[in-house]
Amino acid sequence: MIILGTQGPNTFLPEVNARSGANILECYQCGKCVSTCPVSQYMDFPPREIMQMVKLGLKNETMMANSTWFCLTCSACSGRCPREIEIPAVMEAIRHIAIEENYINDSTKVKEIRTFHKIFLDMIKRYGRNYELRMMAEFNIRTRNLFKDMHLAPKALLKGKIPLGVKSVKSAKAIQRMYKLAEKLEKKHQ
Amino acid sequence: MKKLTYFPGCSAHGTSEEFDKTVKMVMKSLDVEMEELPDWNCCGATSAHTMSETLAYALPLRNLVLAEKLDNKTMAIPCASCYQRLKVTKHHMDADPALAKKINTTVVEEGTYQGKVDVKSMLQYCYEDVGLEAIKAKVTKSLAGMKLACYYGCLLTRPKNITNFDSPEYPVSMDQIVEALGAKATEFDYKTECCGASFSISNTEVVINLSGQILEMAKESGAHAIVVACPLCQSNLDMRQPDIEKHTGKKLDIPIFYFTQLMALAFGMPEKDMMFNKHIVPVEGALANIGKIEPEPEKIKKPKKAVEAESEVE
Repeated sequence: MIILGTQGPNTFLPEVNARSGANILECYQCGKCVSTCPVSQYMDFPPREIMQMVKLGLKNETMMANSTWFCLTCSACSGRCPREIEIPAVMEAIRHIAIEENYINDSTKVKEIRTFHKIFLDMIKRYGRNYELRMMAEFNIRTRNLFKDMHLAPKALLKGKIPLGVKSVKSAKAIQRMYKLAEKLEKKHQ
Repeated sequence: MKKLTYFPGCSAHGTSEEFDKTVKMVMKSLDVEMEELPDWNCCGATSAHTMSETLAYALPLRNLVLAEKLDNKTMAIPCASCYQRLKVTKHHMDADPALAKKINTTVVEEGTYQGKVDVKSMLQYCYEDVGLEAIKAKVTKSLAGMKLACYYGCLLTRPKNITNFDSPEYPVSMDQIVEALGAKATEFDYKTECCGASFSISNTEVVINLSGQILEMAKESGAHAIVVACPLCQSNLDMRQPDIEKHTGKKLDIPIFYFTQLMALAFGMPEKDMMFNKHIVPVEGALANIGKIEPEPEKIKKPKKAVEAESEVE
């Protein structure tokens, strides 16, 4: 059980506000974001509750929730928010802090979503562009689900919907240097 | 002749080759010269901004910097996701010079960002720069008889303060374009609902659910087909449609066109160039409606007695 006020000063709220550029204190808990969100039914805590948790400084609980990983950044919520809070930016700030500070939600779904994004970024690092077929194959291998979407393969490949190769960027090395520099810059923040 | 910088995006070489090809055909006939951005890289899509704030800005910024080396004032992008990543990056770089300098000097080596190139989606370019009149003037084979649900997805018009284009809730630009081609746009309420986007592979269950709702609503609106302006929307709604049908047990059979494919069709270009053979859901049934114009339903006046009888039942 969490007893509020026993956890020291709330440093989490200003941190999320600063990173997202939003002012979460503006939220008056109307719940419009929840009814708008296309994926709130899959979240441990829907956006309205995440807002309140940040306000209360419940860092660990917010970090470990699957909510930010399910956010599709479709911006439907922020478009309708009567307080004009950029909710996707808040979700993103929370996720970035979670990644940097190693809060790991190890539910299968979150793991799969994370794996997908890692593979996608890896494709760009290697080729400067996305290599769809290889990305799908690597996802199946890394999630140990070899036959996922295989029923789509014959049609998609025959019709040339998914090409076999990729035209990589000429200066792929420049992209690789960019990745290294970005990593360095983010380490400096921590 | 208008000139623009063209940013095709990764899917133009993959799942949305037909979008890329028809954009090129249509623009040429509308007298717009497109110069492909040399050595463009992936915008990072959802994955970059999910995992790393720096890469989320740096990958699009490299493209923006490269675009400034060309003389064109506008860069037009067919893919909604690429468009939004580049537009969002431009917005933040212009609003926060300190951030722009940090990312630019530490991560992007191709040059200094100046913010002089405007970023538009291909839909926006067609609507604002080419214009409905010019589109209408090119139509040689009207699409009259076709009813279409225009689906914009979540990224083309949102966030409103960044995209500054059309309505985030009920956009109409694509509707007006297909009507300029002679087709009829249906009243479709799910225009800007998300299709599940990047969860296509990692969280298919969500895509089946969200895209399923969009397909059903489009069908309910009386549309013969859906029109899109985003490769990811197209592949989720088209490639996943058999799975969705299996999941819900309802036959949908509603093809998904890119708006440029329909423009090319109405401009009288050869059908084989539209690459309809790449569609998973066959398009023939929907295209057969062209030319079949239904008479306006006449309002049937019921005899007074019948009206009274009906109200009694209620």
